[in-house]
Amino acid sequence: MSEARKYGLAAAAGAAEGPPRSVGAILWRRFLEHRLAVGSLIALVALALLSLAAPLAEAALGLDATKVDLLSLKQPPSAEHPLGTDELGRDLLLRLLYGGQVSLFVGIVAAFCAALIGTAIGLLAGYFGGTLDTALMRLTDGVIALPLLPLLIVLVAVDLTKLGVPEALTTSENISLYRIVFLIALVGWTTVARLVRGATLTMKAREFVRAAEALGANHARIMLVHILPNVVSPIIVATTLSVGNVILLESVLSFLGLGIQPPMASWGNMLTGAQELIWDAPALAVYPGLLIFVTVIAFNFLGDGLQDALDPRAVK
Amino acid sequence: MTLRLAALLCALVLGLFGGATSVLAAELRIGMTQFPSTLNPLIDSMLAKSYVLAMTRRPLTTFDQNWELVCMLCTELPTIENGLAKPEDLPDGKRGIAVTYRIHPQATWGDGVAVTSADVVFTWEVGRHPKTGVSDYEFFKRILSIDVLDDKTFTFHVDRITFDYNAMGLDLLPAHVERPIFETDPAAYRNRTAFDTDPANPGLAFGPYKIVEVVSGAHIVLAANETWWGAAPAFERITVRIIENTAALEANLLSGAIDMIAGELGVTIDQALAFEKRQGGRFDVTYKPGLIYEHLDLNLDNPVLADKRVRKALVHALDREMLSERLFAGRQPVAHSSVSPLDWIYDPDVPTYPYDPDKAKALLDEAGWSVIEKGIRHNAAGERLTLELMTTAGNRTRELVEQVLQSQWRQVGIDARIRNEPARVFFGETVAKRKFTGAAMFAWLSSPESVPRTTLRSDQIPTEANAWSGQNYTGFKNAEMDALIDAIEVELDRAKRKDLWSRLQRLYVEELPVIPLYWRAEPYILPKWLSGLRPTGHQGTTTLWVEEWRDAR
Amino acid sequence: MLAYIIQRLAESALVLLIMSFVVYGLIGLMPGDPIDIMISANPDLTPADGARLRALYGLDRPIGERYLNWLGAALQGDFGYSRLHTRPVLEILMPRLGNTVILMGISLLLAFALALPAGIIAAMRPRGVADAAINLFAFAGISVPPFWLAILLIILFAVVLGWLPAGGMPATGAGAWAQVEHLILPVATLTIATVAGVIRFVRASVMEALRQDYVRTARAKGLGERQVMLGHVLRNAMIPVVTIMALNFGALFSGALITETMFGYLGMGKTIYDAILGNDFNLALVGLLLATLTTLLANLAADLCYTWLDPRITYE
Repeated sequence: MSEARKYGLAAAAGAAEGPPRSVGAILWRRFLEHRLAVGSLIALVALALLSLAAPLAEAALGLDATKVDLLSLKQPPSAEHPLGTDELGRDLLLRLLYGGQVSLFVGIVAAFCAALIGTAIGLLAGYFGGTLDTALMRLTDGVIALPLLPLLIVLVAVDLTKLGVPEALTTSENISLYRIVFLIALVGWTTVARLVRGATLTMKAREFVRAAEALGANHARIMLVHILPNVVSPIIVATTLSVGNVILLESVLSFLGLGIQPPMASWGNMLTGAQELIWDAPALAVYPGLLIFVTVIAFNFLGDGLQDALDPRAVK
Repeated sequence: MTLRLAALLCALVLGLFGGATSVLAAELRIGMTQFPSTLNPLIDSMLAKSYVLAMTRRPLTTFDQNWELVCMLCTELPTIENGLAKPEDLPDGKRGIAVTYRIHPQATWGDGVAVTSADVVFTWEVGRHPKTGVSDYEFFKRILSIDVLDDKTFTFHVDRITFDYNAMGLDLLPAHVERPIFETDPAAYRNRTAFDTDPANPGLAFGPYKIVEVVSGAHIVLAANETWWGAAPAFERITVRIIENTAALEANLLSGAIDMIAGELGVTIDQALAFEKRQGGRFDVTYKPGLIYEHLDLNLDNPVLADKRVRKALVHALDREMLSERLFAGRQPVAHSSVSPLDWIYDPDVPTYPYDPDKAKALLDEAGWSVIEKGIRHNAAGERLTLELMTTAGNRTRELVEQVLQSQWRQVGIDARIRNEPARVFFGETVAKRKFTGAAMFAWLSSPESVPRTTLRSDQIPTEANAWSGQNYTGFKNAEMDALIDAIEVELDRAKRKDLWSRLQRLYVEELPVIPLYWRAEPYILPKWLSGLRPTGHQGTTTLWVEEWRDAR
Repeated sequence: MLAYIIQRLAESALVLLIMSFVVYGLIGLMPGDPIDIMISANPDLTPADGARLRALYGLDRPIGERYLNWLGAALQGDFGYSRLHTRPVLEILMPRLGNTVILMGISLLLAFALALPAGIIAAMRPRGVADAAINLFAFAGISVPPFWLAILLIILFAVVLGWLPAGGMPATGAGAWAQVEHLILPVATLTIATVAGVIRFVRASVMEALRQDYVRTARAKGLGERQVMLGHVLRNAMIPVVTIMALNFGALFSGALITETMFGYLGMGKTIYDAILGNDFNLALVGLLLATLTTLLANLAADLCYTWLDPRITYE
């Protein structure tokens, strides 16, 4: 029984000394102790806010982020263009901010959806075992081996309106964005699924799970209350890693011509576009590269912090 | 033999210790971006294959650097005037033509067997066999029969008389090597051809070089061919290396792993411009604008684009001169019609569409798109002036250009929506089945004086009924154009033909089914010590004259 | 255990069969065939040419019929000819398979050899100086898109320093050093891209293991730090790491596409990619099935490793 107390998240909240506090407050307090994680969170929120504020910056600078200016290509920083201009004379700062909207959106949403699917499949497979496990894991193997590329090309070519997707969406300029998110979520869950399954297998053998079973707790409760909190750390590491990976994957897809379509900017396609100009205008590569770098680092530190905060066994 | 052994040993030792920077004197290493899928001259048409094969073999005739038709393997160009070409009546009542060629007397395959009329007959047999997988089958079917006059002389009987009756880009197959393979099983020929199973067989080459090694996907090594009759080439060996990524291709050049980059399949124009700025002292960069016509096909079934005023407004709204100047440093000149200014049929007096946004706005107003809301034009019915703009995703230059177009159109109130697709979807589905609703940007690659039958004639519009055949993707229907195309094809008199071409260009510009953008240029990056390489500007590769290249090291 | 392995192999065969159908269908669903592309590039080809070539390659027949024909031949060991290379499929794939195994094997071994000590050192003193340095290195590795990493390595080592070839395959008959020097940059690219993720997982799982009761017990018993680490911590920390390595194995098999493209290295990734884009059914299918088989076997190996690492996990 003491085992169950130690491992259960709810139990940890109840057992806290002093006046009773909510689980959230405890997690938050634990999280705050991780300074790098807090710094990363701040940096990410700042990046997200800045990206969302792109239209405001556009107004403030008196520029149009999509307006091509053939007379001022690849200009160095100036009063008018704080970071200079890109290969079509557009303001680099504004492009980076708009690109941030896209990259962060793709990274976070796709990684989150993938983690959700992966956790569900991994938990079910690991917990129930047997035929279900076999079927789900072979499905996972199949998806891992599934080639992304023809899938993407098929997806590009499929007439979405015939599948009942509203016309307003299919003709929207964001369609390439949604397509990428959908695709990554569809095939990106395998890592999390295998990790969760592996961890679940170990947890299932532990005494406190057996105890809960003996006490007659139903399967859903055991999975969600007893197992999930204990397998959450690989999920978080994998998800935060994959946010970065997704942002990179988007750049690779741009490299292959299957990524976000112009004129929409993403850090990935800006970096791809700068590839041939590496000698001529290195700034065009340095800024998006740096932003990807910072974002990936921040997500990983954030993951560290969350892992520590969520881990019920983390003893001070 | 000893010399070659020594060279081989030398290469081995250098390979062991010197790494990639070692250079054999009299070796030329060419970098390009595409690997030929097959080396058989008849199967599949591919630029990379033409590039390599032009060193090992020569077509009967070709267009030279001045875009004049010349003999390569033949000795004299047959014409009606010199009597080698004779119009004749065909059994079915139509008019055909008999054309006589003579193969160069010294032409000999690399294994010592003479190139003869028997090779011509064999090539024709393979070409017209329905199961061999030859891409230009229809071309071979036009040759009704061949008379062999002697070992080196033969006459083609062709089923029609066209002005280009004597242009014969035919590439010969060696009958003594390939006939047994072909006759065993014609349907399996494309997989068993010696060009792919035994590419280093000297019997496959009669040009200045023969292939000695092929590593599929990586490189092809060629060595001088002793049986070549023409000028002796300067390089003992030529290695063609394939590096698909253009940034990596450039890095390979700078690291000394390759000596030059082929313009035909090399770096992009903006990359070459930037390269020239930095490395112009070490390398020569030459640009040859040619017959690669970048344009926008407009879907004329779209009611908005069916209005000629809107089409004219679309062109007037574009500052193509500025685009060419700023993005391509003027190296890719603005195109005004489908005929290149370098072609003899070009008419400089045909009107053009200068950049004139006011005129564009006036034309749009006139066409009923006069209500401007949030910068975008609407018509009286409240419809928005929107246009879909498509091209091949991942082609950086095109993506840059289309963003410029989008931005410039926006200035006059036209809302262009970019929707790009990977090449195989774009060409295979969207363009081929006319599924684009607005404008599709791509290029036509053609030869000098190429008749636009498949792209402009009204019976060439792809439809479900004709199994999507034809390349008139705009859906252009014009009786006058149809008549002009038919007339040009059979007009043998140059002066009269030039007049017809002139009318065709005027009609094209007036009707504007297509928005001409620019002529693509091929950037050749060459070492300072290499001379004699003359870009052609058409689909004939520079390697057709590889023996003229000189090494000043 | 043997029965389990046999069962898994049988399942794998089934998955392989299903995958062959899925992949065949996917490639078939892609719009446009090679003939369309041939025609679009060459205005001289007539419609009749197109129809004839399509019939010749069997592209005019329904997909199901084509699949069954293929399957029938494949089961008799005839994988057909590659359309792109006009050579028998196996003749094209076998040397490339060898190249890929060399490239991947070295890269993964290196990644594992580097990640294990680095991850442990980082986990021993979380948020210490070593941890920060290792994290930073790891993040740098995962936040650079592979095509960028490749081009930077080429510029540094081939162009600026001139030490290594910029890419390509060594000439036939070239010496041992030529073989090695052509491998260095591609291996470095792949290793840098993979090692970071593995470090993160080793670190996370070692930290987790360090918190477990048995470690405290072991320490209380007076075991040395080294013994604790090797005997108790590593064994338990290995489970997620093994999962990740197995996943990487499958992913890299066809996923070294970018590295192979940048260095002109003849491997499976590029071959499969080109085969898919070129509608080379036979080559793409066999290539992808080989990739699937690798994934399946790698995951089977991982599952077997679990039981060895944690005897509480059993398979019946």
